[in-house]
Amino acid sequence: MDEIIVQAKGITKYFPGVLANNHIDFELKKGEIHTLLGENGAGKSTLMNILDGIYHPDEGEIYIKGKKVHIQNPFDAMANSIGMIHQHFMLVDTLTVLENVALGLKSQGLYIDKKEISKQIETISKKYHFNINPYSKIWQLSVGEQQRVEIIKTLFRKAEILILDEPTAVLTPQESEDLFKILNQLLKEGKSIIFISHKLDEVMEISDRITVLRKGKVVGTVHKKDVTKGYLAKMMVGREVLFSLERKPLKRRGEVLKVKELEAYNDKGFKALKKISFSVFGGEIFGIAGISGNGQKILAQTITGLRRATRGKTILNDADITNASPKVIANKGVNYIPPDRLKVGLIPNLDTTENAILRSYDREPITKRNFIDHQKAAEYAKSLIRKFNIMVPRIDAPVKLLSGGNMQKLLLAREIAERPKLLIAVHPTRGLDVGATEFIRKQLLKERDNGLAVLLISEDLDEILMVSDRIGVIYEGQIMKVINIEDAERNKIGLLMAGVNSPKN
Amino acid sequence: MLLFEKRETVSTKLKAAIPLVSVFLGLVTGAIAILFTRTNPIIVYQALVKGAFGSVYTFSETLVAAIPLILISAGLIVAFRMNFWNIGAYGQYIIGAIFGSFFALNMPATMSRPLLLTIICLAGFLGGALWGLIPAALKAFWEVNEVITTLLLNYVALYILKYLMYGPWRNPESHGFPLSKPFELNAQLPRLLPRTRIHFGIILGIIAVIIVYIIIKKTKFGYEIRVIGENKRAARYAGINITKNIFIAMAISGGLAGLAGLAQLSGVIHMLQIEINPGYGYTAIVVAWLASLNPIIAMLISVAFGGLEAGGYQIQMAIRVPFGIVGTIESAVLFFLLGGEILKKYRIKLRRNIL
Repeated sequence: MDEIIVQAKGITKYFPGVLANNHIDFELKKGEIHTLLGENGAGKSTLMNILDGIYHPDEGEIYIKGKKVHIQNPFDAMANSIGMIHQHFMLVDTLTVLENVALGLKSQGLYIDKKEISKQIETISKKYHFNINPYSKIWQLSVGEQQRVEIIKTLFRKAEILILDEPTAVLTPQESEDLFKILNQLLKEGKSIIFISHKLDEVMEISDRITVLRKGKVVGTVHKKDVTKGYLAKMMVGREVLFSLERKPLKRRGEVLKVKELEAYNDKGFKALKKISFSVFGGEIFGIAGISGNGQKILAQTITGLRRATRGKTILNDADITNASPKVIANKGVNYIPPDRLKVGLIPNLDTTENAILRSYDREPITKRNFIDHQKAAEYAKSLIRKFNIMVPRIDAPVKLLSGGNMQKLLLAREIAERPKLLIAVHPTRGLDVGATEFIRKQLLKERDNGLAVLLISEDLDEILMVSDRIGVIYEGQIMKVINIEDAERNKIGLLMAGVNSPKN
Repeated sequence: MLLFEKRETVSTKLKAAIPLVSVFLGLVTGAIAILFTRTNPIIVYQALVKGAFGSVYTFSETLVAAIPLILISAGLIVAFRMNFWNIGAYGQYIIGAIFGSFFALNMPATMSRPLLLTIICLAGFLGGALWGLIPAALKAFWEVNEVITTLLLNYVALYILKYLMYGPWRNPESHGFPLSKPFELNAQLPRLLPRTRIHFGIILGIIAVIIVYIIIKKTKFGYEIRVIGENKRAARYAGINITKNIFIAMAISGGLAGLAGLAQLSGVIHMLQIEINPGYGYTAIVVAWLASLNPIIAMLISVAFGGLEAGGYQIQMAIRVPFGIVGTIESAVLFFLLGGEILKKYRIKLRRNIL
């Protein structure tokens, strides 16, 4: 049981301007789940990509079963029985499970022995209760099933050491539970697992040992039974972390947004909002809770002018803004943090300055008579960076190189700097680490205290309960009920989210 | 063993070194092809350089060939920055030439030269712009893929030209050849140096490059097209008017291609005919791309390509190697240049197998 199967000694990896891994020591014992815990940008993925042969260390040594190895590429990793399951799956959507498993198999030449592969897949699938048909196309599978295909791929190649890079980031709570069962069974079979995460609850649930990384360095390795969640959080962030936020008493002001019997269709042509009505007042956070896909995204898009309302009205401070253009709506004081920061809110290949001015580029002082003053633009970006303490490698580096937390800070900073009357935030902390999450939530509360009306749409019920003053539960494009935070009970909201209860009358 | 490792950023030194080394390797490969013609590659390259840059006259021919490339690539850069793949400079060039020719052929020979030249240049620009606006509208209103529409419209343009040349615009005195009447002197762009064919188009090209540079680097419009090009959804989110920007960008892109076509007629050929070198419209795509969409670098690359063309004629005549050799050298250089792009994305390490 105590056999050390992977040992990394003094691993160091430089990227231009960053020391991603700074003399990291790490070991994995046979039959354990060893979690790598750390905030985004702490160096977890870099270390694992080194084990998988995608990056090569500048310094340091790797031993597998006591033997020194040089892992040049993922094939080498596989030959050393290391299999990595990436956060973003490495699957070809239009191919079948079988074809994905066969891809890159060295044992297959021009002719692929589908029968044999299919048989082996089924054996693996049965053994671990994966319930995967080798002939299904990848796109037909749910995210959880796709992840199982990734696991099959590694097991098929006889992996003994499995690396899972933030595997639960894309899963529903139920799917995560299923994954944990699978992992436990893999352990029983004698596999060893490296689990990467920054979600403390699941880390406490599943790990044997935990190694905490911060800024590319190892903070320490601990046994789960010796620590608490709070202790881990402190190791990870470097200071105390609050699991609940202090809130000033509500000072509600006048009605800012009124949504009246609004209807809109989604991309598939189905009615996603069904006469939805609610109001948001100045100085409050109105949280919309609901299970993914009940019209949350469509609601935000319709209010901000990115989607046409087919019926009903949105009224901002007594002015009708229904179906006005996104620019008009933004100029009237509605700012928006979209759910997908890299696809909608930011332009990944452009630099910090170019992203910072996305809202203000066409006004003075940044633009005068159609010409952009690059110096003013850079000053503006720097002021946002200072105010929100955003970490950027260089101001002219593309924002895709920023960590998720810093991207979101930049986005939030830009939107708040517009001094909106209404701020719509959709999943503002999704995928962020503890520190960044806390920062974003505190900012939302601060703006609320300044009198801003905040519409918070989130699938994270804890988040809704932590910061909202009133909660509207959305189900199939309707608000089931609006509850004041004092009366909010988790169970009751859970039932409403599942559609139990007649719509409010 | 060769190892590929992803890299996030590229140093400026490397950015400059990659194309230089690529060109060198391309020339070495070209040399191998030359050896097959039983000629000494060094002599061919010497002759090529001499033929392109060796004397005032040969260099002037290089510049003449560069003029259309400079104009077209400057325009393409505007569209490409918006991720609008304008493959239709070929057609826009032809239509620009036709529009300009209409005035060149129909205005009285007594008309003031500056006035007529201004008119035909504007007409050339307008013709190319209108031809560019067709795919722009299809894209903006119905999301039709612009690669296909711009490409197909090239054939339409070519057949319009053929119709005119075999039909209504044929010079009755051309003995049946598909040629128009020659342009009168007042419709010819002035030549800048005696005994060379360098014409006023080069000044138009330089002006276009400067304007395009300012547009993409300094203006609100330049910023907007970059945002659209990099992330259309972010552009919509920020309230940028995508339709308007597609129209403006394609008007500039098509317009400059049209101006290039007209300049070639009015500056070099002096009549409308079927062979008016619209192939520059395709070469300019490569030029724009190699210049990483920077108009000033594109101008320099245009001169290099012009040199290849002019030098190619020279070696054909002087050493009697087939003109195809020039194409081979050009392709080999391109091949390595495009292959070199991978070094901007990956670090390649050579490592002996230690295991």
